[in-house]
Amino acid sequence: MNAATQSILAKKVNELNNLPAMPSVLSSLAECLSQNASQVDVGRVVELISYDKSLAMQCLRVANSALFRRRNGVETVRQAVLALGLSRIRDLVYSCSLPKLFFGLKHGMPPVTFWRHAMGTALISQHFAKQLSVENYEKLYLAGLLHDIGILVNSLLFPEEFHKALVLAQTSEIPLWEAEQQVLGFTHCESGRVLADFWKLSPEIAEVIEFHHQPALASSAAEMTAVVYLADLLCRLRGLGYGYYEARQFDLVAEPSWQVLAKTHPAVADLDLVRFTFELEEFALEVEGLVDSILGASSKN
Amino acid sequence: MPAADEGAGVGNFWNYLEHLTAKSSRDAEQRSLLNEITIGETYFFRSQQQIDAVSKIILPKLVSLPAKQGVKKIRIWSAGCSTGEEPYTMSILMMEQLVQKHSGWTFEILATDLNDNSVAKCREGLYNEYAVRNLSPQMRDKYFKPEAALHRVKDEVRANVKFDRVNLQDQSKILFMKGFDIIFCCNVLIYFDGASKKRIVEHFYSGLLPGGYFFLGNSESLFGINDQFRLLHFPSAIAYWKPAPGEEPGGAK
Repeated sequence: MNAATQSILAKKVNELNNLPAMPSVLSSLAECLSQNASQVDVGRVVELISYDKSLAMQCLRVANSALFRRRNGVETVRQAVLALGLSRIRDLVYSCSLPKLFFGLKHGMPPVTFWRHAMGTALISQHFAKQLSVENYEKLYLAGLLHDIGILVNSLLFPEEFHKALVLAQTSEIPLWEAEQQVLGFTHCESGRVLADFWKLSPEIAEVIEFHHQPALASSAAEMTAVVYLADLLCRLRGLGYGYYEARQFDLVAEPSWQVLAKTHPAVADLDLVRFTFELEEFALEVEGLVDSILGASSKN
Repeated sequence: MPAADEGAGVGNFWNYLEHLTAKSSRDAEQRSLLNEITIGETYFFRSQQQIDAVSKIILPKLVSLPAKQGVKKIRIWSAGCSTGEEPYTMSILMMEQLVQKHSGWTFEILATDLNDNSVAKCREGLYNEYAVRNLSPQMRDKYFKPEAALHRVKDEVRANVKFDRVNLQDQSKILFMKGFDIIFCCNVLIYFDGASKKRIVEHFYSGLLPGGYFFLGNSESLFGINDQFRLLHFPSAIAYWKPAPGEEPGGAK
């Protein structure tokens, strides 16, 4: 991000003093999980989640949904934490608590559309990384879930301009970030980065958020950014996009991100990309069900 | 056993097999059997995602290719065109998206099928309600004439479509089918074994102009069949692209 954009953004953010605080459950959870795995206090994690009854209910519902489910169903938060593991539980708490924060935005993208894309990208990033045997592939869920968080910042802080950008993208069938650049002068990548810093998200996730449309600029999290970049594209291409037609054709294999991954992960060469793409179609239905259940609950609470 | 054997009056399976393989009756009988087993049900504007990819993305690219500025013509081959819904859909699409939008451009569609009955049906151009179910009343009025309870494609829709019976295994014939911008071969390759598939796809590759596109059916892939084509993703559709020197198929952001 150039200095001018950063200062415009920072000024606007300060003036409005309007960036949402990170939900307290997430900051407490982050603190709790920052310990070495062996020192994490499971009881404290259970307590944090159970404190908010509606969040706890939602976490249980999602933990039992087709996408997260283990062989046996879970009935209590403690069982969920033990069955899914701490990293999966963190993904789940993020997925359930973030949508509430941005509920009721009037000029943005419909929340259902946004969260389907976010959760679709989260799941596909993780699935893709797992297929490629990327180390710590489970980190990819959160990176995928949060990659577009700047879209929510833009619709919150710059509702009219963002609405214009969205209409421009829809009518010209161009990528949203190009329309944002034309209308706002910056994109959701940059405003997402501001929020990531404000929330003190991990440097890796902050980098994915900032560079997921320019993955070549990523440095310390180049691999994660490449995975999220491709998963984001696949989602936009296969019915989990922003709800409009992007008139573009893509040669994914020729994408620099694909090449970045191919260098270090030989599994890339053996991947039947067409079959992988067809599999995502089945994912899409489950993601829709998951998001409907989370948002349905959020709107009532 | 297909109804074909009833026509041949051969009784049981072994008699039929002999009839099918005996030199004297082989060609006619094999053709009759193929006619029975290769017929398909389809309708106009069936694969909307492929249609969008062609009209919104591919056509604008093709009309701007430097190599196409001399003869402004788009040539399409519908290989395995069944009863004609696919090539006539393309004809309507080209009338609306090419001829009306880009002055001086024309098109030509070659529609081939192995099945004589299908090719005859294509030439007749008469369709039932099921075939036109995706079309608005305006589209029906514009491109079809009602005929009792049926719908006949108008002459202008037929004008640029040529039909032919072609066996994709007949190398001497398909060797000369060249110069296409787009080839459709949807749900046809499933009938062939691996080696035949490879050979047929190679013919499609050489039949396409550089920068041309190849479409398969919605659940088909060239994985393990051909690696000369480049796989392209479109919104909810996939196509294969024959590289053109100096052209990149377009990147993503």
